[in-house]
Amino acid sequence: METQLEALKQTFCEELDSIQRPDEIEPMRVKYLGRKGALTSILRQMGALSAEERPRIGALSNELKSFMEDALSQKIDELKKASSGPCIDVTLPGRAPRRGGIHIINSVIRELEDIFLSLGFTIASGPEVEDDYHNFQALNIPEHHPARDMQDTFYFRQGILLRTHTSPVQIRVMEKSGLPVRIIAPGKVYRCDSDVSHTPMFHQIEGLWVEEGITFAHLKGVLYEFIHRLFGKDVPLRFRPSFFPFTEPSAEVDIGCIICKGKGCRVCKNSGWLEILGSGMVDPEVYKYVNIDAEAVTGFAFGLGIERIAMLKYGIDDIRQFFDNDLRFLGQFA
Amino acid sequence: MKLGYKWIREYVNTDAGAHDAARALTMSGTEVEGIIHETVPREVIAARIVEVKAHPDAEKLKICMVDTGKEILQVVCGAPNCRPGMISAFAPIGADLGQGMVVKKVKLRGQESYGVLVSEKELGLTDDHTGIMEIEADLRPGDVLIDALDLEDWVFEINVTPNRGDELSVIGIAREVSAVLGAELRLPQSPIVETDTPVENLLTVEILAPDACPRYAARVVEDVNIRKSPFEMRRRLFQAGVRAINNVVDITNYVMLEYGQPLHAFDYTLVAGKGIVVRKASEGEQFTTLDSVGRTLRAVDLLICDKEKPVALAGVMGGENSEVLETTKKIALESAFFDPIGIRRTSKGLGLSTEASYRFERGIDPTMQADAATRAAHLMQALADAKVHKGVIDVNYNTFDPKPILLRKAYLYKVLGIEEAGDAQTEGIMTRLGFGLEKTALGWNVHVPAFRHDVTREIDLVEEFIRVYGMDKVEQKLPTFKPMVSPVERVNFNDLRVSLCAMGFTEVVNYSFISPRWTKFFGADALELLNPISDEMKNMRTSLIPGLATVAGRNKNLQQRDISIFEIGKCFFPKEKGSLPDEQQKLGIAVSGQREETGWAVTPREVDFYDIKGIVEALLPEITLEPSEHTFYKPGCQADVFLFSKPVGHMGALHGDILETLDIADDVYAAELSVDPLLRSRWQGLKEIPKFPMTWRDLSLVADEGIPFAEILRVIESMHIADLRKVTAVDLYTGEKLPQGKKGITIRLTYQSSARTLEDSMLSPRQDKIVSALQKELGIALRQ
Repeated sequence: METQLEALKQTFCEELDSIQRPDEIEPMRVKYLGRKGALTSILRQMGALSAEERPRIGALSNELKSFMEDALSQKIDELKKASSGPCIDVTLPGRAPRRGGIHIINSVIRELEDIFLSLGFTIASGPEVEDDYHNFQALNIPEHHPARDMQDTFYFRQGILLRTHTSPVQIRVMEKSGLPVRIIAPGKVYRCDSDVSHTPMFHQIEGLWVEEGITFAHLKGVLYEFIHRLFGKDVPLRFRPSFFPFTEPSAEVDIGCIICKGKGCRVCKNSGWLEILGSGMVDPEVYKYVNIDAEAVTGFAFGLGIERIAMLKYGIDDIRQFFDNDLRFLGQFA
Repeated sequence: MKLGYKWIREYVNTDAGAHDAARALTMSGTEVEGIIHETVPREVIAARIVEVKAHPDAEKLKICMVDTGKEILQVVCGAPNCRPGMISAFAPIGADLGQGMVVKKVKLRGQESYGVLVSEKELGLTDDHTGIMEIEADLRPGDVLIDALDLEDWVFEINVTPNRGDELSVIGIAREVSAVLGAELRLPQSPIVETDTPVENLLTVEILAPDACPRYAARVVEDVNIRKSPFEMRRRLFQAGVRAINNVVDITNYVMLEYGQPLHAFDYTLVAGKGIVVRKASEGEQFTTLDSVGRTLRAVDLLICDKEKPVALAGVMGGENSEVLETTKKIALESAFFDPIGIRRTSKGLGLSTEASYRFERGIDPTMQADAATRAAHLMQALADAKVHKGVIDVNYNTFDPKPILLRKAYLYKVLGIEEAGDAQTEGIMTRLGFGLEKTALGWNVHVPAFRHDVTREIDLVEEFIRVYGMDKVEQKLPTFKPMVSPVERVNFNDLRVSLCAMGFTEVVNYSFISPRWTKFFGADALELLNPISDEMKNMRTSLIPGLATVAGRNKNLQQRDISIFEIGKCFFPKEKGSLPDEQQKLGIAVSGQREETGWAVTPREVDFYDIKGIVEALLPEITLEPSEHTFYKPGCQADVFLFSKPVGHMGALHGDILETLDIADDVYAAELSVDPLLRSRWQGLKEIPKFPMTWRDLSLVADEGIPFAEILRVIESMHIADLRKVTAVDLYTGEKLPQGKKGITIRLTYQSSARTLEDSMLSPRQDKIVSALQKELGIALRQ
């Protein structure tokens, strides 16, 4: 009988090892410990044992019984920890909270801000409804100057308008704060223009750095760093002389077309270059308006369109999509 | 501005190809935006028409026998000018004329045609389609046209910046090419043979407004033969976008394009009193320009008059009454300098911009008036058989005498951040650009040529230098700096956006303009644009809600039923006259449909007022609400929002009229808040975490339906119950089980002490006190 008990323990242990799910435990308990179970049927043979043998075998079988009970309950605990009950259909959709998202224009602004903040700039802002003085005159764009044709202006009345660029923030900052000035000014600007490539409202970011010792070489350094962080280290830049009334010398900055890698495509009009921003050294005339001594300091300024950057980065070809606010469009950037 | 490269190259001695020249121009500040390559298929040849017969079955067609040099071919032609002996352009069968036009053998009214005789327009050379091309040059039949007439060319589309009026001319561009490529400039010569009659005997010029017209030069020519200009001149005008009229008018335009000096030709016989008077218009004076438009002038406008009447709107357009016609024989030629601002005023005021006004506005060379008049006279002699009378009338009040500008080497290097450019290189660049240099101790005294009147300051010279030296040669450097702190406001703006996104809201950006029809709901006190894009975009928004509602409506129509959106942006409020408006940053939120997507495990639920309220509370937990009466929300389902008793916004269900206008079927709940309190930090110092457990008690109450929860709260708070941390509503019930006019409300009172574990025996008396106070003050009973 002792060997029978040994053998029973052996098969019990083997079977227990193979068990995977908690609901298999109960049938096993019945099989080994139940009233018609394996242990009971062995014990039924006790009568055939000698009087000296009986207590010893009795003790052995009790030991085995409690061993099996412990093993089963330990196993069920183990299995319960590892599983949460009956099998579930993991392929059913989950209870997902809805995803929101920041508007693509504001995420691009944030990305640009982060780059410029790390390059030493701080952030400034100014009104969107401006006066002629800050939007034009103090930026060396006198009335009756052909440079005014460069920007179609929305007017409220004589002298009060929607700012056509973020450049008036330059003037407002220089009027108020002392030197050095190192600011960027992101924001909405407005021009009286509406087609596939123009919306009457769009966003710009302005940059201004005025400090003793600032040179055109620094303007190049900052803009190279900016473009390389935004579009990657391999993107070539070129500085092309141009004209802005409030900078001199002025330069348009082109980058190698990021769509065709400079080979020529529809986006870059087969030139291999994309016009990306306007820049230059602050014109001494501007310093006169804000009482800064043009002999003592130099500075640079630049401005770029946020939509243009976003369109290039994400391959968007109709600027109006930014302001249609179709959730199926906006959701793609969430 | 568009110009053919071959014309430019006539004045500058360079072998540079069109693309190289264009690149050099672009990289020195004269942007060539596009290059149109003009060419003629090599199959097109010169051919002589040997014989012309009438077409038996078509009155307008003729049958020509054409000598191609190799054979005589029959060609059917409808051109009125085809005649025996003429040399024209012939495209044989198989020639591809572009735009899908491939010449085939055809039968025209039964007669076979082995090719076509083509017009200048069909070859893309000019817009002349009055007949087949008339070849003046001595060509033999069979000569390949593109080679024999040297027709290949490249048209530059040049973007001239507003400061470079001098570049609005072939010579100006040639001068740039010469400077940037280091090539020799070759200005045209204009020899003339003059009569013995001094021009002063034929014409007088009197300037009554010398400020507006500081210089007026004139010549008189006679016996002109008005006809079509030669092919080369017409083609150059065509390339530049100027319509060819007749040789005399074409010459004035040609010289304008060449020199940048607008000219005007009057029919001399129509100039009354043989005298020109330059004067200001009188207010309201009427004048008909040669485009046959009657114009009402203002006192700022300048008129060119004869002794009786105005004959031209100075610097802008000639008059209909003195136009050069086919019959004109004698011409008075004007070459003047007008004040740029005056011309711009007139041009803007009348909404009339011409090639002439465009150039005068940008300022022309104040010294070239007489030369330009002589150039035109020379061409009229050569091309219109004109007799040129002796001399030029030149009334000149101009005191153009620019002082030399000191260019300091130290300043040049300071602005550009270059170490040393080399004196010889600097001098070479400046000299090629036309500047005169005199060395000084600090640098150079620079004499500015008359055509560069835009250069007046030292910084202008720095720009002149760098644009030719090459910006790419400046080595880039990063400046050194002390880092600055990012403003708190910006950080919190981003936090606010992120918080809303985390709650499932999508940010939208709307135009700042809205339709005036919104004033019905949001009040009429809005800023109005004088020149809106459309009437729908006339007003500056005073609320973000119109934009949000519109976006909700638009998306619902695009099958996006569930809307959770927000916008952060400025609203504009007019202030007293003379000051800029008040610009307030606001946050707008709108929800509609379901907050959660319908699914097998989600019970669908439509949003209601308490969704929008909960979202605002999540942003600003301290707010309180009071019922409001805004016209844009539904009555009874709206509130003003207060923060520590200061109004900060409002929320509610959008009014049915708004929903109807936008074709929205579901309710839309919206809120609008001032952004400032949302940006402020709410941090008030670290609070200790209680060591003793928290416990709560619920009270099921029956109250009159009209008693707001806030009243219950007020009564309980006024009692200052010890250890009471929070009171909230956990259930609300109205229905049959309660008497009419009553509601069941269950409130949960959360207690926590910082000193001990609270026992039931301690809380029961406090609960009883609350129940009796509610009973006494609000007639609220415990629900049985």
